[in-house]
Amino acid sequence: MNRKLQILVALFGIAAFMAVALKVLMVLQASEFKSPVAAVDTVETPRDQALTELAEDRAAREQAKPYVDEEYRQAPVFGSRVVVWVLAQLHLLFAAFVLAVPIFAMIIEAVGYFTGDKKYDKLAYEFTKLMATAFSLTATFGAFLTFALIALYPKFTTYLMHVFSPTFLPYVLLFFFEALFFYSYYYGWGKFHPLVHLGLGFMLNVVGTAIMFIANGWLTFMMSPAGVADSGAVINAWEALMNFTWMPINIHRVIANVAYGGSVAGAYAAWKFLGAKTDEERAHYDWMGYIGMFVAISAFLPLPFAGYYLAREIYAFNQALGIMMMGGAFSWLFIIQAVLIGCLFLAANFYLWLGMGRIEGTLPFQKLIKWLLIAIAVCFAIWATPRSLISTPAEVRGMGGSTHPILGALGFMAAKNTAVNIMILTTYVSFMLYRRTGKRPIVKWAKWGNIAQFTLFALASAVVIFLGVVSYFVDAATRIRLSVPQVLAVLAAMGAMTIIDIFLLRGAEKTGKIHWGKLPPISQYVLIFIAVTFTWLMGLMGYLRSGLRMHWHVYGVIRDNSVDAFTPTLGFATQVVSVTVLIFFVLIAFVFWISGLSSKEDWQPRSSAVEP
Amino acid sequence: MKIPAEIKIVALVVGTCAFYTYVGQLVPQKEVQPPAEVLISSDITTEEMIAIGEEIAQGKGLCLTCHTVGESGALRFPDLAGIGSSCTTRIPDKSGLEYLAQSLYEPDIYIVPGFNPGMPNIARPPIGLTNDEMLCVIAWLQSMGSEATVTLETRHSYNTDAPEAE
Repeated sequence: MNRKLQILVALFGIAAFMAVALKVLMVLQASEFKSPVAAVDTVETPRDQALTELAEDRAAREQAKPYVDEEYRQAPVFGSRVVVWVLAQLHLLFAAFVLAVPIFAMIIEAVGYFTGDKKYDKLAYEFTKLMATAFSLTATFGAFLTFALIALYPKFTTYLMHVFSPTFLPYVLLFFFEALFFYSYYYGWGKFHPLVHLGLGFMLNVVGTAIMFIANGWLTFMMSPAGVADSGAVINAWEALMNFTWMPINIHRVIANVAYGGSVAGAYAAWKFLGAKTDEERAHYDWMGYIGMFVAISAFLPLPFAGYYLAREIYAFNQALGIMMMGGAFSWLFIIQAVLIGCLFLAANFYLWLGMGRIEGTLPFQKLIKWLLIAIAVCFAIWATPRSLISTPAEVRGMGGSTHPILGALGFMAAKNTAVNIMILTTYVSFMLYRRTGKRPIVKWAKWGNIAQFTLFALASAVVIFLGVVSYFVDAATRIRLSVPQVLAVLAAMGAMTIIDIFLLRGAEKTGKIHWGKLPPISQYVLIFIAVTFTWLMGLMGYLRSGLRMHWHVYGVIRDNSVDAFTPTLGFATQVVSVTVLIFFVLIAFVFWISGLSSKEDWQPRSSAVEP
Repeated sequence: MKIPAEIKIVALVVGTCAFYTYVGQLVPQKEVQPPAEVLISSDITTEEMIAIGEEIAQGKGLCLTCHTVGESGALRFPDLAGIGSSCTTRIPDKSGLEYLAQSLYEPDIYIVPGFNPGMPNIARPPIGLTNDEMLCVIAWLQSMGSEATVTLETRHSYNTDAPEAE
């Protein structure tokens, strides 16, 4: 070592020594003075005896510990509410998927059986394969959720178990039968007479729906309790199960599950389409994606009406709860919802218009698309217009308040009801045009049939817009009632147009061929976008349904006294929803991968490079 | 360079979630805390009762979730501006105090023409106002368009059995 280095090391050593010495001095100065302990009088206890006494002392203290019934436990890092929130949402997403898939798998299988077309049977089986892995994940997240509730909300969970204990045995038995019917349906594909197999599918749906109905009773009770006294004491468990919002949620969920399941199945087809190696594969998965999308949108169109029924029942149960939802703390959530649903409508219509490209002879219909697009864009803008705008103080002064003098009028429910009804009608017309593409009716009354359909569409639109405008000039009692004929006009028009269309296109002449698989790749990304948006929408509305209770576990009966009793900001809620959706899509990618394994070639040992 | 479809799918899923999360950050952010308990001492004046009544109407009572004050047009529930004077003439032979008490304790008995029934009994859970809190709300309602007259000793048809405030 050279001399300079030695000096440097020595200097460093001295500095370090002085720093340590200074630190020791500071610690000693800061310490309280203690007189030296006189150790000379200490009587030493033998080590074994001391250990025994210590153990006895500890045991005595543990025995004397009083039993404390804990009300809450806090989950580390994320907190109890977020943990239960994410687990419940993941459980619900998988459950919705496994309840939806058998519904449309059975319908597609039935179509295959009655038309004799084997490709429908193959498609139904492919949909059912997706369910197998998802079924296990649903049960896993159900168990996770139950344990989390017991561990983190012990007192409240005990109360719920107390109220609903009569439902547990039927629930478990139904779950057992669901597993029985599902595995018979899945593994028995092609092994039974088709009608027997369809019967298994039917029973699987009946049992699955019954399971959901029971679980819906538990959660709707928390929002609109019935069958209990003000103190929470149970008066009638069945009334508690079949509470005010039970049936509206049942109906809403069955329809929403089908829409959502169809969209996820469509995303699976899109994923397979994008990875397809042959034209045959592309054609098959294009068709599968179309069917998934058709299922999703067919169920999505009546969904707002089911949502309307649910909202109506919430108002009927408790006006304050309804107002809180639509005009209070959660009113801005519906602006986010409007963005999501607007995106869904635009994406669904975009997919349909792209889909026309795979059919010969689409030109006459494609001209109409720009008008449909304008109608949807205008309705979207109206729906997403809030009553009061987020503005700077100068803007507020300029407008004379937080409500815009002209656009503020679009913030009322009257305008939004009108917009959503027109949007549904427009999307329905998109479907009709797609259905017409490449076909020419041959019935004698074809011209009159077309005129009748157009008249029905025009009439329904006129009724919806007229009633929407009238709503601004009548009192509250009349205005609320006017939304019912709006909904009925749209439903009646769609029903009548469908019936006319079925007879109109009977035996129609085919003017163009459908080229399945000849679709630009962007159409497949649209399908995935629709699936993500549906999933996100379910997460958002799940938050609304649960968050609406505010600081109550059971609204008006069991108060939430935990640290999470406050209602979080919408910004925070959307972050939790996004994280949940991302976790779900990671897991669903696993489901897709597992489902695809059975069609891969078997593993073969590598052949030796050098022949002996 | 051709980007693999898997990467594009991941980007699409993450991007879609990010977009909706961003939309969620654009709307007003409000954290709603459970309503604070209102402390009412036995010796408060009518003026103090009005202030407490307004606080209850905005918070625990949830009154202003549905009702408005000084707004007109397409309202879902009656506007409360001027209620202090109109309460005396709404139901013949019923005093303003009795009308207000009835509207709070049994809101479905009389419905203002042009509106639908829908107000819950706010003396019961989940709102569950006490008799004293109800009197404060009545004081606040009276103060809009008239002079508030109630005190904590005031008795009406719905609190006659309540013990006298000390």
